[in-house]
Amino acid sequence: MKGIVFVKFNEFIEELWGDEFWDTLLNEANLPSEGIYTTVKSYDDQELFTLIDLVVKKKNISSKDAQFAFGKWVFKELYNIAPTGAHDFKDVFEFLHAVQNFIHVEVKKLNPDALLPEFEFLSETVDTLSFHYQSPRKLCFFCEGIIHGLAEHTGQAVTVGQSECEHKGNERCVLEVKKV
Amino acid sequence: MKLSPKELETRVSVLERKAIREKKARNLAEIQLEKYSLDIYEANQSLKIALASSTQKQLELEYLANTSSNVASDATLNEMIAEMVNLTGVFCSSRYGLFVISEQGNEVIERTNQVWGKAQGWHKHDELKKFIINLLPFQQEKILDSWNNLHIENESTFSNGTFNLISYTNVTLAGNQIGWIIFLNNSEKCNQCNKDRHSALMTSRENLLAGIHRRLTDIKILKRNAQLQDSLSKLKKTRHQLIQSEKMASLGQLAAGVAHEINNPIAFIRSNMEVLKDYLSDYKLLSAEIAETIKKGNNLNASAFNDIREKFDLNYIEEDSDALLKSNLEGLDKVKEIVDNLKGFSHSGNEILVEMSLHQCILSALQVVGNIFKYKHTIENNVSGDCPLILGNAGQLQQVFVNLFVNAAYAMKDGGLLTINYSQNKENLIIHVQDTGSGMDNETVNQLFTPFFTTKPVGSGTGLGLSISYSILEAHGAEISVESKVNIGTTFSLKFPSIS
Repeated sequence: MKGIVFVKFNEFIEELWGDEFWDTLLNEANLPSEGIYTTVKSYDDQELFTLIDLVVKKKNISSKDAQFAFGKWVFKELYNIAPTGAHDFKDVFEFLHAVQNFIHVEVKKLNPDALLPEFEFLSETVDTLSFHYQSPRKLCFFCEGIIHGLAEHTGQAVTVGQSECEHKGNERCVLEVKKV
Repeated sequence: MKLSPKELETRVSVLERKAIREKKARNLAEIQLEKYSLDIYEANQSLKIALASSTQKQLELEYLANTSSNVASDATLNEMIAEMVNLTGVFCSSRYGLFVISEQGNEVIERTNQVWGKAQGWHKHDELKKFIINLLPFQQEKILDSWNNLHIENESTFSNGTFNLISYTNVTLAGNQIGWIIFLNNSEKCNQCNKDRHSALMTSRENLLAGIHRRLTDIKILKRNAQLQDSLSKLKKTRHQLIQSEKMASLGQLAAGVAHEINNPIAFIRSNMEVLKDYLSDYKLLSAEIAETIKKGNNLNASAFNDIREKFDLNYIEEDSDALLKSNLEGLDKVKEIVDNLKGFSHSGNEILVEMSLHQCILSALQVVGNIFKYKHTIENNVSGDCPLILGNAGQLQQVFVNLFVNAAYAMKDGGLLTINYSQNKENLIIHVQDTGSGMDNETVNQLFTPFFTTKPVGSGTGLGLSISYSILEAHGAEISVESKVNIGTTFSLKFPSIS
């Protein structure tokens, strides 16, 4: 996983619970990277999952909530460093379509080895959009959080749910976004 | 907010660890950036190399495309090779290029007394040429399968700069000649020595070989073609002679009949002349008697003159002389007509086709063969003067009809009817020659137009009549077909194209 995710997770945790809590997490996690994260490198996915598990345990929250909160927080961070063209979208659905066709294309230019989730759009009406979230990392709740962050940015009110979810025993994750 | 010493200590150690992590992260980032820089540099380098290589490939492709189109062009062998030297010289940045032809180890002087120069193109340079010819192994006469390099120890300088390397190859030309293609290079700036270009040069060499082979083959084909044209004109001449020979042969067969035809009028003319000779004697006697009477002093009155006339039966003599002279003139006209027809028939003539009447042609043919149909046969010629004109050669077609009529007479030994009709449609005029003779079986019909096939006894026919008629009609664009039934008769149909 790209270093940017770890750097932003570090900032997110420090913003919420301070640098001492982050220091404690690293101490206990005993990670191969020793928590030395930089945006220009990639790290083992497992390090993020270990850190999230520790947060879940220590703060007594669900993994789903932790991922969701991080996703919602990290949207504006990623948005700020996104290539210029990504700032032209004013609508949640429009942006979600652009993720695959534009943003991921730009990411690949800088990081040819980046492993990115893929969206398979299943149906769309004026106010609903459903798509199949495909990623071996199974970070569907993180994705839900990001969509909320996106809606906050565009000033639209949305609900995000999953009609199917791998964490509930389904074969795939299908995210449903509804404008309210 | 005031911290206790212990809290302070904890805080410091947390910050220390954070600082260490940040520092290490920065180092990592810097190393990574250096790696990226190196990667970019290397990518840039390999791009430059790829660009240089593709530029060279492009030059090679251009060179090969040019040499291919040169080889495929209509240029002559010498022009093609000269252009090949020019293209290769430019491609290899050679100083000079030469094309030399050798035969049995010696140079053949041709237009090859010129050399190609980078700046001047083809120009005369005897000195340089002599210098190179002395260096190359002309005597070996071995055909190379690649380009050879010959290094010159002392760099040589001519007007177009120095060179120290001779690259050359050779190819087989027509006869025992060998063509040598030679380039003079400077080994430091020489593209001929560039290994990458070697394959392009080998390919162009193969192209050149193919081009030479094709042109030499073309020359052979042209020669062969000229021979064929020659044979064809000889064949035409022979065919013409054959037609003439066969005509003379059939004339030979007709000679007896023709002689008879001429003999008849000559016989009665002679007999008439005998009578006229007697009449002339009578006139002489008459004249003498009149002279005697005048001499005696007797008057020659009308009554006496009438007496003398009656004595010599002069009225009859005068009347009969008119008849005899008229008969003689008719007889002579008949002979003249026969002779004219024979002349027309035997005349060699040309083979030009002109608008002509088959009516006249058939009449002439009947005239020639007239005697053989005179006693036992009836001729019904329905080809009138209304019969449309065709494009034909009267002499040749007369020969065809004579041949058909002679054959018909031969088939009707005991007499019969020869009918000549015509029919026509939009495209054709068809002449039907029908006899009521013995007819032919299928086997005979199938061989009818085969040269030397004859059913006549030895010495009576050449066996060429119908085959020659066939070839004459073929030259007229006409078709001949035959229908025959044994003991019923035979019909030949000659289908001529109409004049559109």
